[in-house]
Amino acid sequence: MMTISLRGVVAVCGRLAMISAAAATAAMLSMQPAIADVFDIPTGAPRSPLFQARPFTQPIMLFEEFGNQPAPTSACANCAPLPPPSSCAGVPSGTALDAFLRQTLSPLPTREANTSRPNYWATAVGNCVRPLATSAIEGRPSGEWFAHQRWGEFSGVAASANRLGMVYFQSATSGARVNGGLRDPWQRHGWTRGEFRPASTGALYGTRNAGRQVRFHPNFPAQQPNSVWTFDGTMPPKLLMARYGEPILFRHFNALPIDPSANNGFGAHTLSTHEHNGHNPAESDGFTGAFFFPGQFYDYHWPMVLAGHDSINANANDAHAATPTTGVNATMRIRGDWRETMSTHWFHDHMLDFTAQNVYKGSAAMMNYYSAVDRGNETSTGAQCNYSNPNNVNLCLPSGSALPWGNRDYDVNLLLADKAWDANGQLFFNIFNVDGFLGDQVLVNWTWRPYMDVRARRYRLRILNGAVSRYFQLALVTASGVRVPFHMVGNDGNIMEHAVRFPNAESQDLPVQAIAERYDIVVDFSQVQVGTKIYLINLLEHRDGRGPNETIPLASVLNGSYVGDPAVGRIMEFRVTSYSGVDRSMNPAFYEEGGRVMIPRPVVSDAEIANARHRTFEFGRSSGTDESPWTIKTDGGQGLGMDPHRVSAAPTIGQWEIWHLESGDGWSHPVHIHFEEGRILTRDGAPPPAWERGARKDIYRIGGGPGDNLDVTLLIRFREFLGTFMEHCHNTQHEDHSMLLRWDNRNPGQTVAIPTPIADWEGVYYEPSLDLPTAD
Amino acid sequence: MKRELNTVFAGLGGMLKWLTRNGAALGAAALVALASMAPLALAQQTRWRADYFPNVVLQDQDGRRLRFYDDIIRGKVVAINFIYTTCTDICPLDTAQLRRVQQILGDRVGRDVFMYSISINPESDTPASLRRFMRTYDVGPGWTFLTGSRADVDLLQSRLGIRPVEQNNLSQHGTSIIVGNEVTGQWIKRSSFEAPQLLANLLGQSLHNYAPQATAQRQSYAVVGEVTDTTPGAYIFRTRCRSCHTVGEGDRLGPDLRGVVGTRPRAWLERWIRDPDDMIAERDPTAIAMMARYRNLPMPDLGLGETDIQAVITYLRTQDEAAGHGR
Repeated sequence: MMTISLRGVVAVCGRLAMISAAAATAAMLSMQPAIADVFDIPTGAPRSPLFQARPFTQPIMLFEEFGNQPAPTSACANCAPLPPPSSCAGVPSGTALDAFLRQTLSPLPTREANTSRPNYWATAVGNCVRPLATSAIEGRPSGEWFAHQRWGEFSGVAASANRLGMVYFQSATSGARVNGGLRDPWQRHGWTRGEFRPASTGALYGTRNAGRQVRFHPNFPAQQPNSVWTFDGTMPPKLLMARYGEPILFRHFNALPIDPSANNGFGAHTLSTHEHNGHNPAESDGFTGAFFFPGQFYDYHWPMVLAGHDSINANANDAHAATPTTGVNATMRIRGDWRETMSTHWFHDHMLDFTAQNVYKGSAAMMNYYSAVDRGNETSTGAQCNYSNPNNVNLCLPSGSALPWGNRDYDVNLLLADKAWDANGQLFFNIFNVDGFLGDQVLVNWTWRPYMDVRARRYRLRILNGAVSRYFQLALVTASGVRVPFHMVGNDGNIMEHAVRFPNAESQDLPVQAIAERYDIVVDFSQVQVGTKIYLINLLEHRDGRGPNETIPLASVLNGSYVGDPAVGRIMEFRVTSYSGVDRSMNPAFYEEGGRVMIPRPVVSDAEIANARHRTFEFGRSSGTDESPWTIKTDGGQGLGMDPHRVSAAPTIGQWEIWHLESGDGWSHPVHIHFEEGRILTRDGAPPPAWERGARKDIYRIGGGPGDNLDVTLLIRFREFLGTFMEHCHNTQHEDHSMLLRWDNRNPGQTVAIPTPIADWEGVYYEPSLDLPTAD
Repeated sequence: MKRELNTVFAGLGGMLKWLTRNGAALGAAALVALASMAPLALAQQTRWRADYFPNVVLQDQDGRRLRFYDDIIRGKVVAINFIYTTCTDICPLDTAQLRRVQQILGDRVGRDVFMYSISINPESDTPASLRRFMRTYDVGPGWTFLTGSRADVDLLQSRLGIRPVEQNNLSQHGTSIIVGNEVTGQWIKRSSFEAPQLLANLLGQSLHNYAPQATAQRQSYAVVGEVTDTTPGAYIFRTRCRSCHTVGEGDRLGPDLRGVVGTRPRAWLERWIRDPDDMIAERDPTAIAMMARYRNLPMPDLGLGETDIQAVITYLRTQDEAAGHGR
């Protein structure tokens, strides 16, 4: 009954193109309260029109590599400044922006924030907002507190012992525009190797990016500059290919409109960028209050060291702790604990109060870490792979072999996110509903229900849930309804001790995947006949943004009897084509429990666990009613919202800690702890499932929904870098309102709290911070 | 011209006023410069305008009829919360905290920041009861209290992202404070549990596109290491108590707390901070006598835990000792 009327409304809304989106929204809200109560999807808005597009009629967009360059050694004398915006509500022209970004890094990066020059757009800001008495070209908080830690060690342009020379990339977050081909020359494959050769050679993925629009399907209208804001303002979504031992300087320009209203209804024009779970110093972690303004940049410095750099393998003589270099299977050894090797990250906006809106609007990129063990080269013979000889460190995960490292022919990043758009096809977000925002359409790599041609061989899929509030549970099923077996090899971007086969006794399909969780899986498409179509299917139903409701049986989805959450169903199609090569990539079956180990977890003794400092964080509502604000209670204290001044916990660097995450209200909260991954000791007192037993996690699902537990206990330790980090609910609507706390990593005996940066157009000043009694 | 710019340069309404108020020369220069920029065809793409917000008619404490969109929020930076005048648990804290926000923002309230409290019990809350409520809390000008029809208030709540509650369940109502700039279309939900200073910064700075110069004295990098009183008790006092109390600076909404640690038995004081509503319900004689002296304003339940209560008491004692009291 419900469903029929819902469909009726959708049909009506498809004809509302001339009415403004808000009016349509308002009309919906008054017309259909009962339906909205059951499936409020998209949250507080009519269904997204599809413009007669049919599913699986467009190829998927693959990620575009930023393309790292060697850091310059001398200042650029004649480099042009960041081009000005066209108006107070405008952004720079795409051509000018590309020309600017094509230049080398200028001015040279500095240890302390560069405040020696004014904001690039100081004049425009003066015209549009107010005359500025002072301003700074860099929005990083000034002075020592936010100076790059250990800059001398990790910024050398020339390589030194156990470290490569620093590289850089730069991008400007700006309004949607046509890709001008800026990065086409910087793709590591050069469009000349493997599957990235031109299509005329029979390769699968050889379409260059110049000319791509920000358009989710050819039938849909292109996105306007104020609807979508991305790195460069362009599509495809961006990928950072990073190597251990090679420090990275990311200069992030803010080229968004000075006028905050020029956002088509959502999104803040101030930015802070968080490299999700990077082992990075606090000033480069994207603290929510360390944001920067239009016309400024912020230098993020990611040293790319293994955790344990200072205490483990200090002589760099462990062959596992190494980074790929240019020779075939060549490496350079680095310091640190190879058991801390990470693989699949993402970085995204972390702006105070506006993280959900900005991430949804496009401020998110993926980042692959390459290492000797996970180098993105499966080798041409297999003789140098770990499966051939345990002394070989290269796991040879599916990737390709044309390049010494970082092959992406068979190693594919998939970014899943639910979206909604208005009658004009422009991206829509409901800023008033803070229970959580759901879209009705799932995009994969920003393409609506794409297909992807794949070879009949093994692939690695790096699947990221990049949604705001939606959890997924994914199944891989042939067109005839048969589940395709696969292995999970990485959980939250970290290669596990053992590969876990699916289906298994605990789960038929991939486990529930909360916001920001990453699952790396290996699928062998040679299991099916060439010509077979395989679907990625979402089985997890939401009714609203509070959390997932239940897993829908696959049969109900396949036979069409399920109607409800429009994001349940097929979201992507794989088309299996023939493979003429020999698949030398690892067979994950060798690495299942009882077999070989991929990456063991860091060593911790019983004594260290017994002596660990315990902390408890309770995520919920302080007074138990649904209408109270979200809070986090630390160690039984007051339920608190976010105050960037307040330090709720202050671990001592290098000490093991046991954190208890508890859910107070039954809602689902995917909790993220910055800076370091932890190992889950228990879920509701019991051991975690197979795919978490040998895993290192940075998202911990708690709550009352499917895949949740009321409490999770984890073991964690913070090393190498100090400063101000965060812990929060990664349902970013909850995070923004304001389930977020600050913790500081400190030296033993440190008593002074790092002061709190407060930013405006004229620069950043500091206010005193405050330690809660729980901060010790 | 100015009116047009106010509309066209979304987000600049308050800023232009600020500029013209704070120096004619500066303002004029800015206006000339603004006029020389390209026309803003793209501006005001915000969806949250007249066709989103209901233009329902409400009545203020003086019985004036105001339309929600046209008269109350249009072109303004606003803070909106929902209360009812017989509410005894959370509304007193909300109101006291908002009063503190109003004090921090000073005469900007009513000029470029507007505060509204809307009754969710409109049948009972007449303009007269709103006036009484305002007198109780000593609400200053620029902060308007409103009542209307139940259907209209429910609709308003829904549009602002707050679930309306049944009339027999008013104590479970949404206590969030909605802050926003109608011109720029930025809307944020906040809680009264936060430090009033943060809310004031949001209303006075961030939502004005950071146009007003920071009023707080900027601390230079050199002095930030020398933080004065950052004990937990001081923090709780600053964020939770100072809206109604001082230590040694006289009565505000509630009594001056100078010497209270010495005057009241420790157990009584702890319980009064922890469960004031219970003690009022039990008609504790000290509590009842105090209420009579302070506008019949109940001490709100602040939701403090044991550690916090001890920290506040410690803070009060050290304040007394520093001043030579309470020995």
